[in-house]
Amino acid sequence: MHIDLGHEIRHDRMALLGILVLAAILLMAIFAPLLSPYSPTEYTGRIFSSPSNDHLLGTDSMGQDIWTRLLFGARTSLLVAASVALLASSLSVLIGASSALVGGLYERFWMRIVDVMISLPTIIVMILIAAYFRPNLPLLILLISAFSWPGGARIVRSQVLTLKERMHIYAARTFGADQRHILKNHIVPDISPIIASMMIQDARRAVFMEAGLAFLGVSDPLIISWGKMMHQALAFTYLDVWKWWLLPTGILLSLTLVSLSFLGVSLEAAMDPRLCRHEHEHGHEHVHENWNDDVNEREYGNEREENENGEVGSLEAGGC
Amino acid sequence: MSNEGRKRGGALSYIIALLAIFALNFILPRMMPGNPLQAIYGDEALVAMTPQMEAHLTELFALDKSWSEQMVAYVLALLQGNLGFSYYYKDEVSSVIMGALPWTLLLVGLSLLIATVVGVMLGIESGYRRGERIDRGLLAGLMLLGGLPDFFLGIVLLLIFGVSLNLFPLSGALTPYSGLEGFPLVADIARHLALPLAALVLVDLGGIYLLTRNTVVTILKEGFMLTARAKGCSEFCLRYSHAGRNALLPVTTATGLRIPQLITGALFIEIIFSYPGLGLMLRTALDARDYPLIQGILLLVTVTVLFANLFVDQIYKRLDPRTRYAH
Repeated sequence: MHIDLGHEIRHDRMALLGILVLAAILLMAIFAPLLSPYSPTEYTGRIFSSPSNDHLLGTDSMGQDIWTRLLFGARTSLLVAASVALLASSLSVLIGASSALVGGLYERFWMRIVDVMISLPTIIVMILIAAYFRPNLPLLILLISAFSWPGGARIVRSQVLTLKERMHIYAARTFGADQRHILKNHIVPDISPIIASMMIQDARRAVFMEAGLAFLGVSDPLIISWGKMMHQALAFTYLDVWKWWLLPTGILLSLTLVSLSFLGVSLEAAMDPRLCRHEHEHGHEHVHENWNDDVNEREYGNEREENENGEVGSLEAGGC
Repeated sequence: MSNEGRKRGGALSYIIALLAIFALNFILPRMMPGNPLQAIYGDEALVAMTPQMEAHLTELFALDKSWSEQMVAYVLALLQGNLGFSYYYKDEVSSVIMGALPWTLLLVGLSLLIATVVGVMLGIESGYRRGERIDRGLLAGLMLLGGLPDFFLGIVLLLIFGVSLNLFPLSGALTPYSGLEGFPLVADIARHLALPLAALVLVDLGGIYLLTRNTVVTILKEGFMLTARAKGCSEFCLRYSHAGRNALLPVTTATGLRIPQLITGALFIEIIFSYPGLGLMLRTALDARDYPLIQGILLLVTVTVLFANLFVDQIYKRLDPRTRYAH
């Protein structure tokens, strides 16, 4: 699968929009201390003040500046997103690819674990664990990653299974390449577009889960998080304060999530030969890939493989 | 691999998943530092507990014995449907949960039904008119809605229709002490249900719509559609009996996968609208650190989700004749 993702994204308005919004939020997170004179945990002297020159979005029930907390909340969200994306997708690639390459009992063991974890309602299990541990940031990242890799591992495995029968892999093997060399130099570069789209999905889920757990009040109370701000603000809907406390937080969280979905959908579409861009058929294959049904994987899995072979041909011939 | 083998393999995964959840529920409180009774019931509970009750609970769960004996006691209690005692509600966890369950079932069941019917119909109509303005508008709008976090969509609805316009009640499932009966009672329940239901349906609609639409788009290119048109099928028959029937298969599978999302979505939505179902109870239990109740609610939800998945596997086999006759 040889796709120039950079080219695909530059020519997709949705993806561009997603990247722009994400870049803006990233800048907010990086330059948070420069964009606000306050500390996010500092008591400013007044509670529930309305937006003014001193306080762009007013202050909350604890007398903290809301705009500052929004900025620092972006740091938490993006940090969790990036860490989980890296960690979970590494696990997916490692376990998925090694299962496909090693095979046998090892493969059956991991695929059974994947089946089991996929059939569990992830958020529920995470709420339970978080309720006991009240995880701090590193623990939260580990927790979300630990529950995010199975879907990706299954996709990577099915991709590697078809890839390893390709000629250039055979060729490498006859030259004496070992499994690790093949994985590193042939398989990972070949599935890199899939890894990219996997990371975006992992990042999206991570942002949502972090906010969700904080919204339920089960993560470490010291973390400055959009979810927690909404949790606090929801108790004061009878005051006007929701207009500059609850709403901006929710909008920023939604913007982050929607941008990540736009980017993800665009990547999926770039990889799927059946979905020619101008036909707006986004997201079809994406849904299939996420389906955790054995029957489905079997049927659509075969279809995918055929299509991928066809796609390489058609791209070389300048098709689509 | 034969069909039989696949079925058994699937069921085995569910059994392992169920055992894993039981194990997690057993191990988590016992991993916490300190007195096991304190870890299982939480600090606040111990203060409220009488020495007799403490002794009774210690004996019930064999907390002064070895881990293996505790395990036996735990499994025995589970088999008897004993999920423990909620100190916050001062009642058995199972009966506390039963009190909240109907509201959640009402909410989740209705939104599953409405979102599926509306999503499939919109998907068929939209896919059939691919590329037209209405199709593009629906696609963009519903994708945007589906991308929003469910709790924020709920909050927006609450702020607009509840707080600003004052059209709907802000919380609860019915007006307390109203003494309503018959039709007015149903109307009252419906009025309270409207906003949470709308939020849940709107979040859920996008996925099912997109799936149906994309399936219909691929089906339109099939030869049998041309045949159906050639033999003089009406437009309605083309859309629903031919395109729609074939879109049913992926929709069914997706429905099974939507159930966990719907339930977790309902937990969040209930918290926002203070709707007295399992979600609000979970929030109360989390705030009060009423661990037996937290465990009970999450156990119930997990088991429901696992059974829903298993059930969808079975339905799938009935809907797709190919999986019945093959091999």
